[in-house]
Order: sequence, then structure tokens, then C-alpha cells
Amino acid sequence: MKQQHFQIEQTETNDSYILSLSGELDLSVVTQLRAALEPVMERTDRALVLNLRDLKYIDSTGIGIIVSVLKYRDGINASLSVQEIPPTIQRLFDLTGISGYLTEGTEQQT
Amino acid sequence: MIRLQIPSHADYIEIVRVCLYGIASKLSFSYEDIEDMKVAVSEACTNAVLHGRTQDDGGSLIDVCFQPSEAGMTVIVKNEGEPFEHSESIADENTPPLQGIEISELPVGGLGIYLMEALMDEVTVQSTDSGTEVIMTKYISQ
Repeated sequence: MKQQHFQIEQTETNDSYILSLSGELDLSVVTQLRAALEPVMERTDRALVLNLRDLKYIDSTGIGIIVSVLKYRDGINASLSVQEIPPTIQRLFDLTGISGYLTEGTEQQT
Repeated sequence: MIRLQIPSHADYIEIVRVCLYGIASKLSFSYEDIEDMKVAVSEACTNAVLHGRTQDDGGSLIDVCFQPSEAGMTVIVKNEGEPFEHSESIADENTPPLQGIEISELPVGGLGIYLMEALMDEVTVQSTDSGTEVIMTKYISQ
């Protein structure tokens, strides 16, 4: 169970801030994720990227956070892209309809 | 019937998922069906934690009851405290809630009930003065 623990890894490139999420994203880690997002979501100088490759679980609390970031970034004319969405998570994104609003930046940033 | 009781706190929702996985994998549910149930049951627990009595109020417990059968499984999530508002729900099983809306108008909440209904075969929410009970069933697909 421990290895599934939610983690956020932050990397910074010349043009983007990448937050890679791993483990299970539920109500218990909302504060942790919000705290990590807060300093980068208002930065308009770089793109904001969420990488979900190692995310094992998400529910409405996590999707709600992505929606709020999406709205915030849209309000300041900045981008948000979500990369490498695992199939089980993609299914929930499709069910809720959030997929229609996400840009999947697939190009590898170096 | 298998019963689990957890403190009404977000840290314990994961335990419910682990338990659900253990029980469901003994039945002949597909991997996808188990993942669906994990999300739906977590949504019910999340609502229970958010709307149940807080620690300061003396705290409360969430009762989770798993009823496996040959046809599938029924999970009942019960908590004490204020019933959560159904009116908040934007549930309409056939229409994704986040569709055809301007980004700035997107709703941030209300997705939980929608997901429960979309992922389970039957969902009933019963609110009384003392609490809320969510009863949901998933059938094993043939």
C-alpha cells in the first residue's frame, strides 16, 4: 500500500512547469496538491503541465481540482495541458466530459 | 455480509478501496468493473466525510457494508450527520456534466453523485434526520 502513496514531483524546463503525479489522488491529498499548484498556476511565463503517467487512481475530488486549475489558467490566458493519461483515468475524464477541455501536450519537453 | 467501520476522515477512504478490491476480486468481476466500484464507493465515502459530523462535533463513523451475491455486489455506505444536498447534484446519467459549457462556467463540484450513478448499475440515496445511506449495486457482466 505504501508504494501507492500520493506523490508530486515537480520539474522545471525552459518553457514549462511539469507536475508529475503518482499514487492515488483522493480527498486525503487535496491540500497537498493545492499547495503544490498554488505557486505555479499563476505563472504566465511558462506552460503548466500535469503528467499523470504514474497516477493509479483519481475521483471527483481530483477532477474538481483539475477543473478549477483549468478555469484559473483560462482566466489568465495561460495554458494547462495534461499528459500521459492512463486508460482507467481517461475513462473517468470521458465520462465527466472534462476530456473535451484538456489539451494533451504530448511532445516531450526537454 | 462483510462490514467495515472507519472514522469519518479522508485518510481512511483508501482502506475502503483496499477492502472493496479484496472482496470484489474474489467474485468474477472484471478489472474495469472493480475500478468502477472503487471510484463509486470512494465517492460515497467522500460525501460522508465532507457532510458527516466533524471531529469537533464529537466525530462520527462511517459504516460500509459489502453484500456479495452471485449476481454481483451491493455496497452500503452510511454516515451520521447532515444529509448531503441532492439539489447540488447535476446528475443525468446520459449527459457528461462537463460538456458544452464555457470553461469559465464549468462546475467544480457535484461530480461525485454523477460518477456514482454512471459507474454503478443501481444507486439509491436515503437521507433521514440522523444521516445518509447510499446503497449501490454493481452486477457482474456476463
